[in-house]
Amino acid sequence: MRAVHKIKSNSTTRFIFFIALGIVLFLLSNRVDELRVYQGAEIAVYVIAISSLILLTGYSGQISLGHGALVAIGGYAAAVANINFHVPIWLTFFIAVLVSALFGALLGAAAARLSGPYLAGATLALAVGLPSIANQFTVLGGEQGLTFDAGMPPASLGEDFTVYKWNFWIAALATLAILWLLQNILRSRYGRTWRAIRSNDVAAELSGIAIGRSKVLAFALSAGIAGLAGACLAMLVGTVSPSAFPISLSFSLLTGAVLAGVTTLGGVMIGAVVLVAIPEIADAVANRFGGSESVTSNLPGLLVSALLILTVLLVPNGPVEQMRTIRSRKGVASHH
Amino acid sequence: MIVTNRRKFLVTSAALVVGALTLSAVPSQAFSPRSVDGVTATSIKLGITIPMSGTASPGYNKIPGAMKAYFDYVNDNGGVNGRKVTLVVENDEYVPTKAVTKTNKLVLRDKVLALVGPLGTSNNQAVAQKVNPGKRGVPVLFVNSGFSGFANKAKYPTTYTVLPSYIMEAKIMSAYIKEKFAGKKLGLLYQDDDFGDDALAGFKQSGVDFAVKVPYASGSQGVATTPGTWVSALAKGGAEVVVLFGVSSATAAALYASYVGKYKPQWILGSVGGDATTLAASKIPPSFLAGAIGTSFAPSPADATDDYIKLFMDVNTKYNAGVPFDNNIVQGMNTAFLTVQALKSAGKNLTRKSLMAAIDKNGSKFASAGLVPLNYSATSHVGYNGYWFGTYNASGALVADGGKYTVYTTDSGSGAVAKSTYTRPAMPAKGLPN
Repeated sequence: MRAVHKIKSNSTTRFIFFIALGIVLFLLSNRVDELRVYQGAEIAVYVIAISSLILLTGYSGQISLGHGALVAIGGYAAAVANINFHVPIWLTFFIAVLVSALFGALLGAAAARLSGPYLAGATLALAVGLPSIANQFTVLGGEQGLTFDAGMPPASLGEDFTVYKWNFWIAALATLAILWLLQNILRSRYGRTWRAIRSNDVAAELSGIAIGRSKVLAFALSAGIAGLAGACLAMLVGTVSPSAFPISLSFSLLTGAVLAGVTTLGGVMIGAVVLVAIPEIADAVANRFGGSESVTSNLPGLLVSALLILTVLLVPNGPVEQMRTIRSRKGVASHH
Repeated sequence: MIVTNRRKFLVTSAALVVGALTLSAVPSQAFSPRSVDGVTATSIKLGITIPMSGTASPGYNKIPGAMKAYFDYVNDNGGVNGRKVTLVVENDEYVPTKAVTKTNKLVLRDKVLALVGPLGTSNNQAVAQKVNPGKRGVPVLFVNSGFSGFANKAKYPTTYTVLPSYIMEAKIMSAYIKEKFAGKKLGLLYQDDDFGDDALAGFKQSGVDFAVKVPYASGSQGVATTPGTWVSALAKGGAEVVVLFGVSSATAAALYASYVGKYKPQWILGSVGGDATTLAASKIPPSFLAGAIGTSFAPSPADATDDYIKLFMDVNTKYNAGVPFDNNIVQGMNTAFLTVQALKSAGKNLTRKSLMAAIDKNGSKFASAGLVPLNYSATSHVGYNGYWFGTYNASGALVADGGKYTVYTTDSGSGAVAKSTYTRPAMPAKGLPN
C-alpha cells in the first residue's frame, strides 16, 4: 500500500515539474531575442529526436545509426498530407507520428531478427538511401523538396508575436508532452520489459517476455516520436528536402544521445543544447580569432568529436547518471 | 592521483566550454561601432546565401568572390558615400532548409542592411515564407532567380528581381525557334518545379509544341545513370532541336551524356545553365558545344571591347587573382555594380527604406553592364526584361549573331516580343560610384 502511494505521488510530482518547466520556458521565450527563440525551437526538435533514440538504444538495447531517416519520414508525411490531401496543420503532426510509427513497426519487424553490428549496418543503409528516394519522385519535390507552411501565429497574440516564437511554443509543447509520456512509459511494465531485454535477452525470454514483440513495439514507438521531431523540424524551417536529412543528422542524434547519457532520459536536454550550441561556438571562436572559411566549417565537427571522446572517457553513462552515482556513493559514505 | 587528474581535466574542459559559450553570447557589435541594420558611419554590411558546395554549386560558387572583388575595388577607391562595403557569404548548398537557417543568421544575428543576390527559386520562396524579409522590411535585392512570381510586389514587397523571368526567356526563345527552326521536331529538358513551370508557361503561351518533354527532379542530375535516361528519351523521340532549360549541373550532365552517347541535335541552352567555362569544367569539350545556341542579357565575357567587361576583367585580375573570367564573374560583378549604384543613390542617410526608395526612384537609370533595360519604378520590381542570342564558337565563347547584340524584350504577361532600341547608360568613370 505504501509502495503504491509512493509511485502515485512520484507521478504527480513529475507532472507538476513538467508544468513548471513549461511555464519557465514560456517566460524565457518572452525574454530572449528572436534568434535565440529560433535556436530554442531547434533544441526542442533535437530533444524529441534524441529522446526517441534513447528509448530505442538506451532502454530496448537496439542500435540505430539511421534515425535521421525516420525523422525524414515524419517531415515528408506532414508535408505531403498538407499539400496533397489538404490536411489541417495540427492534424499533420499526428499523421507524421502515425506514418513513421507504421514504418518503424515494419522496420522493427526486420530489426528484431538482427542485432549488434548487423542492425547498425541495416539502419545506416536506411539513412544513406531513404532521403534520396525523394529525388526520383516529383510528388516529393526532388532536391528542392516541399514547402510546409505551418501558418502564422493567431492574430490574438498580437502583431509583435513572431512566427519563431509560435513555432517554439508548439515544439516546446510537443517536447514536454513526449518527455512526460516517455517518463511514464519507461516506468511502466513496458519500460521494465525493455530493460530486462537489454540486460539479458535470454533471461528475459525465460521470464516469459515476448522478445520479438517487445522489440518491435519499442521500434515503432521510437519511430513515431522521431516522426514528430521531423514534423516539428519541417514546421520550423518551412520545407522538407532530402539534403535536410543527411547521414550526418543521424550521427549527430547519436552523438547527442551519448553526450546526454544514452541509458537515461534525464540528460536529453544536454545533448540537444550541445548540438545547437557547438556550431554557434565554433563560429564565434573562428570569427574572433580570424579563422578562415575552412576552419569555420570544420571546427564544429572537431568540437563535437572532442566532446564525444571526453564523454566516453570520463562519463561513459552520461553526466546525469554520473551525478546520480556520485550522490549515491556520498549517501552511502555518510551512513557510515 | 588519476582521479584528481581526471577531475582537473573535466573542470578545465567544462570551463572552456562555458567560456566559449559566453563569448558567443556577447553581441559582435560590442567590439565595433554601433550599427543600425548593417550601416555605421564607415561601413555597410550586406549578406548573400548561395551554394558554395554541393551538387548545384559549380559555377555559382564563383559569384560571391566576384562580388567581393568589385566591392574591394570600390572600397579601395573611397567606398560608397565614404562607407566601405562588406559582404557576408553563407553557403546554403542549394537546399531550402539551409537557406532558411542561414538567412536567419544574416538577418537576426549579422543584421545585414540587405540581402543581395540570394540564389535559387525554391530557396528564395522558402526564405520569403519563413524568414519573411518582406514583413521585416529587409530588402532582398537582385535575386538570382528568374521565377516570374518574385516580381509580385504584394507577395514579396521588398524583393527586387534582376534576371529576365523564365517566362520572358521562354517567350523570346519561342520567337527565335519559330523564326529559325520552323517545322523541326523539338525537345525540352526542364526542372520539375516552379523554375520549369515558368518556362512551360512561356512556351505554351507562344504556341511552341515540344515533341519530347523531359522533366527532371532537381538533384537527380547527381545520380550517375539518370542523365543517360533523359538523353535516350530525347533521342528516341527524334528531337532535332533540343532546349536545355536547367541549372548548370543538369545542363552539363545532359550534354555529357549526349557526348558519350554521340547524340548531337541542335542545342539551345537556357541562360541559367549556359555558362561555357562551367560546362568545360564538366568535361564537355568546346568542340562538342560549338554551334550550340545560347542567350544572355549581359555582354559576352569574351568581348574585351566592351567597357564594362574590360573593367570587370581588370578588377578580377587584381582582386580575385587566379579565378578564370567567365559569365559567373560577369554576373557577380554586375550584381555588385548595381548594388553600389543603389547604395550611392540612397545617399548619405542610408537605411533599408531609403535604399528601396532609391531603387524605385532611380533604378531604371542605373548604370550596369546589362544590354537590356531595367524596369524598376514605384510600381515595378522587375529588373532586366530581355535577351540577345548568339552561337558558341570552337573555344566555347558565346558570339552574338551577326556580330552585334540584337536585344529582344517582352514581359511576363501576354505582351509581345519586340526588338529593343535601348542603349545602356555609359559606364561611370573607372566604374566607380562618382
